[in-house]
Amino acid sequence: MTRSAPLSRRTALKLAGAATLPLVHIRTAGAAGKLAVGFWDHWVPQGNEVMRSQVKAWADKNKVDVSLDFIASSGNKLLVTIAAEEQAATGHDILQFPTWEVQNHSGKLEPIDDVVGRLEAKYGKLDPYFEYLGKADGHWRAVPTSSGTQYKGPAARIDLFKQHCGIDLQAMYPAKPVHTPESDNWTYDTFLKAAEQCAKIGKPFGIGLGTTTDSVDTAGSICAAFGVQFVDAKGKITVNSDNTRHLLEYMKKLVPFLPKNVYSFDDATDNRMLIADQSALIYNPPSAWAVAVRDAPKVAEQCWHFSPTPLGPAGRFVPMLVFAWGVWSFSRNKSAAKDLLEFLMQRENVQARCSVVYGFDIPPFDSMLDFDIWNTAGPPVGTVYNYPLRPFHQATRWITAMPAPPQIAVQIYNQALPCNMIAKVTQGGQTPDQAIAWATSELESYVG
Amino acid sequence: MAEGTISITALPAARIPARRSPMRRWLGHRSTMGFLMALPLIAVVGGLVVYPGIYAIALSLMDRRMTHFVGLHNFARLLERNTFQLVIFQSCLFAITAVVLKAIIGFALAHLMHNIPTRKQRAFRGFLLIPWVIPLALSTLVWWWLFDPSYSAFNWALNKIGLASVPWLGQPWWARFCMIWVNTWFGTPFFMIMYLAALKSVPEQLYEAAAIDGASAIQKLYLVTLPMLRNVISITVLFSLIVTFANFDIVRILTNGGPLNTTHMFATYAFQIGIQSGDIPLGAAVSLFMLPILAIASYFILRGITQRSKDAY
Amino acid sequence: MSTASAIAAAPPSARRRHASLARQRRWALWGSYAALAVFILMFLVPPFYMLMTSLKSSAEISAQTGNPWIVHHPTLQNFIYLIHYPPFRRYFWNSVWVTACVVTVSMVISVLAAFSLARIKFWGSNTLATGVFLTYLIPESLLFIPLFQVLGALGLINSAACLVLVFPTLAVPFCTWIMIGYFSSIPKELDEAALIDGASWMQILLKIFIPVAFPGIIAATIFAFTISWGDFLYPLAYLYTANQMTLTVGIISDLIRGDVFEWGKIMAAALMAAAPPVLVYAFLMDYYVAGLTAGATKG
Repeated sequence: MTRSAPLSRRTALKLAGAATLPLVHIRTAGAAGKLAVGFWDHWVPQGNEVMRSQVKAWADKNKVDVSLDFIASSGNKLLVTIAAEEQAATGHDILQFPTWEVQNHSGKLEPIDDVVGRLEAKYGKLDPYFEYLGKADGHWRAVPTSSGTQYKGPAARIDLFKQHCGIDLQAMYPAKPVHTPESDNWTYDTFLKAAEQCAKIGKPFGIGLGTTTDSVDTAGSICAAFGVQFVDAKGKITVNSDNTRHLLEYMKKLVPFLPKNVYSFDDATDNRMLIADQSALIYNPPSAWAVAVRDAPKVAEQCWHFSPTPLGPAGRFVPMLVFAWGVWSFSRNKSAAKDLLEFLMQRENVQARCSVVYGFDIPPFDSMLDFDIWNTAGPPVGTVYNYPLRPFHQATRWITAMPAPPQIAVQIYNQALPCNMIAKVTQGGQTPDQAIAWATSELESYVG
Repeated sequence: MAEGTISITALPAARIPARRSPMRRWLGHRSTMGFLMALPLIAVVGGLVVYPGIYAIALSLMDRRMTHFVGLHNFARLLERNTFQLVIFQSCLFAITAVVLKAIIGFALAHLMHNIPTRKQRAFRGFLLIPWVIPLALSTLVWWWLFDPSYSAFNWALNKIGLASVPWLGQPWWARFCMIWVNTWFGTPFFMIMYLAALKSVPEQLYEAAAIDGASAIQKLYLVTLPMLRNVISITVLFSLIVTFANFDIVRILTNGGPLNTTHMFATYAFQIGIQSGDIPLGAAVSLFMLPILAIASYFILRGITQRSKDAY
Repeated sequence: MSTASAIAAAPPSARRRHASLARQRRWALWGSYAALAVFILMFLVPPFYMLMTSLKSSAEISAQTGNPWIVHHPTLQNFIYLIHYPPFRRYFWNSVWVTACVVTVSMVISVLAAFSLARIKFWGSNTLATGVFLTYLIPESLLFIPLFQVLGALGLINSAACLVLVFPTLAVPFCTWIMIGYFSSIPKELDEAALIDGASWMQILLKIFIPVAFPGIIAATIFAFTISWGDFLYPLAYLYTANQMTLTVGIISDLIRGDVFEWGKIMAAALMAAAPPVLVYAFLMDYYVAGLTAGATKG
């Protein structure tokens, strides 16, 4: 009998009301040196607290003087800190690096193959996605972690899909380890039809074509599903292809069913649409649902998460955002730093952290997908069961612009090239060929 | 010590003071006094601006990996990019329009305030200062919320009176308009208090003399007010131009450069390709692009002010 | 008023002309009030909205029903939460003491330097006067990177004291220029008279220049205060721990978590962050006006 840990309203109220403990340094008796650690400030305060206690436990046992800071990503603080510390060659020993930052700063990151090797030996090999973002010059430069790592797949309304699209989300992706025939039917054609039906009832899909990461991730996954490649692994520009034309034709059909303001979407627009009962489907991790539990319970109990995006001609590609922990090469206590990271990535510690964040955090190892939190989080119970990608989903972890060389890919990503290319056709009225020509010239300036 | 003045009464020979040591003589020099008084300024600017500034300029002349010196190659690369050409256009449009609007509205407000009795001014002054006083990072969030596609209170009001919702940040020209509007809202109070201070220091006699000569209100403005305020106008406009060109918060929070890169400015584009995409030298090149032009403009404007101050006396 | 007595003493035709002038002045006065009122309305739309939103619960904000310009179920919950929230109190206190120090330091440096550059010629003073303004040409968004290195070497990263060192770089050049402008307009005869009386340069500065240029000093103080109170990028880059953060970076980092915005609290915090400058300026402006009227009689 599984222990039930539903996301009660009272627990959810803690989400906002929890007085975050003063974010002061932990000072422990340090005989084995000092360590300055900067982790991402989790939007769930309890996540930070569990992390803090784990770090303290390690520090006490190993007699290391650890100072732990939680650095927010809001206001780009984390990015600014990383950039400044790399230039100044001074600062923390360990920092948490979002998505592309490991590749951006690989030159100053200490190789960490030993730690990753041991973790892989214990918990299974890591997906090529993590290698693409985490390995440079043949060495792992950071350890992918669970804290903040998320999928940006669909989160949709059970009632609206059942009534107006004739799709039973809970039958398509039940909270059970079973591959259903309905999920094979979850293709881009079905997607288009459902988008039309939801637009008709005034609750369109909340998918953006703006400049922020949510929009770029979504666009990238659709592009990949259609077999669109911007730049290949060798650096050759390959955007001019029939797949791209096919994609642009599809988007011409889809965009009319999306909200009018789709080009000015930011990362939280879709959250707000879902919570305000204005959208039937968004691409988002469970953060929107968690806020809805507090502010709009009627909406929340109809939310169902399933990361597998629709099946396209080239397959199923799910946008993922990974955080990785890296050690600066100018750190003065690298062995302690590596030891701490390995400790924090042990199964029991990962599980303790994942359990308090409503299932938001995704461990990078498939063997860790059996944590209880995804079975029990609710209401509705089982809503996040299909949020972590599981082998039977037959989907691929993806980041926009893969497999281009990372320093080109990061520009494609940050400049929102896929979104802009699509917008040139759907908003700017250009033909697919014109848009592809524009994209090619942009890519030439990134490659050149 | 009244050094530096020539005493009218001749000193009797017997009262010539004993020779001081070179150090004391140097300290006694008027110019040394001046130098010492300016020393804190030199220290602050030298250590915290000049040194990092040279570092920043050097950064912009390096390649991505920061190993080789590539001269002006970064700038050349940038000029080829269509997006960067848009950035130049947008930055100039934004900065010049916003500064002109701020100066005109600020000037008008200062005049209006000047007209009403001093006692009554306090409330008006207080209220009109508020936009400038709320930290920009926070007030921009409020504007963003007001422009938000689904929650815009402006659109709600427009809908109530029967007009269609406006895609404030979703369409290029609307987005540009919003940014100029927010910047003007924020910056006008600054111009207002600068001009008010200057207006108050224009001697009343000049206006009365002009009135006796039969000057109309507009002529008074043109012949008395503007010339007296020339220095203040020059310096506030110059300062505001420099700062508005470098604006980061408003663009970043409202539009992040979108839609379709039509609201990118130097600072946000530099952030995107520098810090976010890991090519800091290229980002530095973007940030410093306007430096030569603004430097030349500053030099001429400041020289003009200094000359006018000297000519007056 | 001298003109009033002049009017009373004038012949009847002149008195008629003056009467219509007085009527004109009254129209101008009421017109000014009206125009100012319009501007105030336009300027205060966002702060009004901030006030309304800060009185709403997050459920009311998330729902999209009804008039967003009024509060349907007002609550002081956001304000109460912030007042009892220790980090917020800390951010507030940090902003206060940092700004106080920055304003003092900036004003001392600017006034001394302006006096020197306006009155005393020394080698390089012209270049310095022009050059100091050029410090604004390297934007904050670039300068923070090498500055991080300088501050790191001084061991000031993650300490609010680093702001006391860094904010003056933003305020001092402009304040110096304002003061140079005011000091230059003081007639040289005043200093020469004082020098003949045996005053030292410091005494001249303190007893003559500062009182006469008081409006300029107030304007410069307000400028330095605003810069220091509201700056975002430098605190963002240099402060990590909540107990060192100032208001701007503290509010953004603490009340925006991931993609979850606590709008009610953000607005309440922004209003509370705006209160001190408004109060300080109201206070300062009274001195400013007093200084102006005193200066005006000097002609």
